[in-house]
Amino acid sequence: MPFPEEIKQRIESAIPGSSAEVEDYTGGGDHFRATVTAAAFAGRSRIEQHRLVYEIFGAEIGGPIHALSLKTQTH
Amino acid sequence: MSSSEPSTIRDLPMSSNQTAPAATPPTSGGEQNPIREAIEQAIGEHKVILFMKGTPEAPACGFSARTVAALQSLDVPFAAVDILPDPRIRQELSAISNWPTIPQLFANGELVGGCDIVTEMYESGELAEALL
Repeated sequence: MPFPEEIKQRIESAIPGSSAEVEDYTGGGDHFRATVTAAAFAGRSRIEQHRLVYEIFGAEIGGPIHALSLKTQTH
Repeated sequence: MSSSEPSTIRDLPMSSNQTAPAATPPTSGGEQNPIREAIEQAIGEHKVILFMKGTPEAPACGFSARTVAALQSLDVPFAAVDILPDPRIRQELSAISNWPTIPQLFANGELVGGCDIVTEMYESGELAEALL
């Protein structure tokens, strides 16, 4: 099962210049909440911003990452 | 001789709080993917449609429950599809919307978002604008 730190690193590696805060909000290892800040989000709809993050994890969403709740922002 | 094959699903498990639910005309031709067709048809026919776990009266997950609550407090007519009865519904839906999670809210034929986006938009007032 992924740790919040691992999810954070994967997001920050995949989206240059981004910073992510990730927490496991149930303590069960599979429900995460992430706030991602990235200039790369500028000019994109919320859907596009969230897709950029979900695509990093592909098929893991709904699997080992049962839930990944997102908040995205440009600054 | 009775067939043991399940019949193709034409009718999604839907509920609606609209007073006059849209009639679903039979799909013609293209029997390749009846579930995908039924989903696309439902998205096209209903101004606001939520694909969720469970029903609006009995949501089966917290994210779906929160999304339903936002719609209900705006008092907007919406249709709801329960994705739980058949795993193919979720599969085809995600392929259509390019979105991995449930719930998924569509308005005017387009994906609005999941629970996080709907909640943000509800709080900012954008949801009312998008749906009404």
